Amino acid sequence: MLDSGTILTGMGVGLGSVAAEVFRVKPVASLPNAAKHSGDKALETESLKTAIAAVSLEMNGLAEKAGETSAEIFEALIMLLEDEELFETASDQISHGWNAGTAFINAVEEYADIFAGDATFEERLNDIRDLARRVAASIAGISLGLDIPTTGRFVIVGEDFSPADTAQFTEAVVGVVTIQGGPTSHTAIICRSKSIPAVVSCQQAKDLVDGMQVLVDPVGDRVVVDGQESDITEALSFIAKSEDPIIPVRANIGSLEDAIAASASAAEGVGLFRTELLYLSAKTRPTKQSQAASYTEILKAAPAGPIVVRTIDAGSDKPVPFLDMGDEENPALGVRGYRLIENHRDFIVDQLESLEIAREQSGREVWVMAPMVSTYSEAIEFAALAREAGKFKVGIMVETPSIVYQIAQLAGVLDFISVGTNDLSQYLFAADRMNPALGAMLNPWQPALLRSLEQIAIVCQEAGVSSGVCGESASDPAFGVVLAGMGFQSVSSSRSQVGIVRQALSSVTKQQAKEVFEAALTGLDADQAKSAALAALAAISAK
Amino acid sequence: MATINGSVTVLDPIGLHARPAGQIVKLVKESGLEVRIGKAGQELAKANSPLRMMALKAKTGEELTIEVDSDDEAEATALIAQVQDFLKG
Repeated sequence: MLDSGTILTGMGVGLGSVAAEVFRVKPVASLPNAAKHSGDKALETESLKTAIAAVSLEMNGLAEKAGETSAEIFEALIMLLEDEELFETASDQISHGWNAGTAFINAVEEYADIFAGDATFEERLNDIRDLARRVAASIAGISLGLDIPTTGRFVIVGEDFSPADTAQFTEAVVGVVTIQGGPTSHTAIICRSKSIPAVVSCQQAKDLVDGMQVLVDPVGDRVVVDGQESDITEALSFIAKSEDPIIPVRANIGSLEDAIAASASAAEGVGLFRTELLYLSAKTRPTKQSQAASYTEILKAAPAGPIVVRTIDAGSDKPVPFLDMGDEENPALGVRGYRLIENHRDFIVDQLESLEIAREQSGREVWVMAPMVSTYSEAIEFAALAREAGKFKVGIMVETPSIVYQIAQLAGVLDFISVGTNDLSQYLFAADRMNPALGAMLNPWQPALLRSLEQIAIVCQEAGVSSGVCGESASDPAFGVVLAGMGFQSVSSSRSQVGIVRQALSSVTKQQAKEVFEAALTGLDADQAKSAALAALAAISAK
Repeated sequence: MATINGSVTVLDPIGLHARPAGQIVKLVKESGLEVRIGKAGQELAKANSPLRMMALKAKTGEELTIEVDSDDEAEATALIAQVQDFLKG
């Protein structure tokens, strides 16, 4: 039994919230075990045909009930159900002696093997398996209805809901909680389109039982037992208390369009100019003149303040056609970023020299940094190249854990560093950024990342190296406050987030930011760290 | 009967998923023609089964070979164009 006030965490869908009684969807009656038939193949084939037709009809009925958003989904499902090859595969199974229901389930599983491991199809696979269960249930004469009440107000709790399930949602469904399923599951899509507050992927919801009262609080990514409307997590609001933020908020750009748009925002300069976008579509290597011309245009358009330019960040997963990168087993751990120096030194030098021409022509303050630097020697080498090429402030990206341990030794060599939190997370946790199943490890609120970032901020202060953060995390206003609290001297956000991050950093003093960071440090996992930081922020804004 | 060859590119950001696969099968069945689709260099699959087409696991940007058995070239070309349209996402 769950105590009153227990918080169950999951992933919120939507911005609304609701408090109502739990209706636990009954575990469906179990289907008969796999079994052989008595020998009449024709009879089994006929019974399979009849069952497919019956389920198809049932789906048509549900499609009408479900309305427009789902009509297309049902149409696709019916096509899969009536798939000729699937029927033939099932007929083969019947020839091998399996009864109609078992044969159809086996046939679907043959396709499941083909789709396994392919994220695109796995969610659909569950829908198809649900169809197979329905066909088997129809043959066995079992009802798979959810028996959801038609009156009252209920939060429906279940493992996950298929299209056929959600089509049975009645007016009485005011909230939804699922134990499985992610933010792109069918349940999430339907709840979003119908504006039903939902929390998905909430494993502790398995202990919810009929009759309990719960608050479904998607903004807080949680369900609260006996929660009231007054417990709802409000989207944080920041009230600026001073004109200037406690540290400068710069913008991330990658093109001329970005530079123009960023100059319309409140950004103080550019904290990350991703230069590779200028090259990804070029078939041949652009001349120094044409590079210099593009850079001049962009530098002139950029918002007032320093402009931090990152030299080319490409790799075999982000190939630049004219740099001939080949294939690699592990592109994220391969020849990328500054490691291109080995085979393409002349290109990196060209880039720096073009930037120097653009710096002179635009009259702007330009800082240059190299991505994916992991050793002292690489940093020394890049600093020498950059100072030779022009009058820049020179720095490196801190993305690999190895370089963190040598920043102190780079005092006097580097003017600044900028942390790319996405890559730092990927390499710190050995968790592939591109794998959606590892998202929880790449959460910037992970305590190990917070402590690693703090270490970087401290060592930079000691070494007299200016420090900033330009990763995705710096676009989150609350996280921006935490970064300032650690001692970082600037953040760079995506253009659309500059305003809100600036506002957050104008709503606190440096001391308060430090308190918010210290609150985050009390968390033992990402959820706790984030909740503690948000609570500290809320306490400050209530003052 | 003649066979008309063509190629289409998967432009749908999710790849060749259930919806376009269903649309293609519906079109092929309505046309009454035999149509085969697959990756270049591999055995083509009859376009009468959405599951079989999803099993190609064609991803965004991939090019697919398509064969239409028909003596009416205009009809076949129109069908291929329509298939391309379904793959736009």
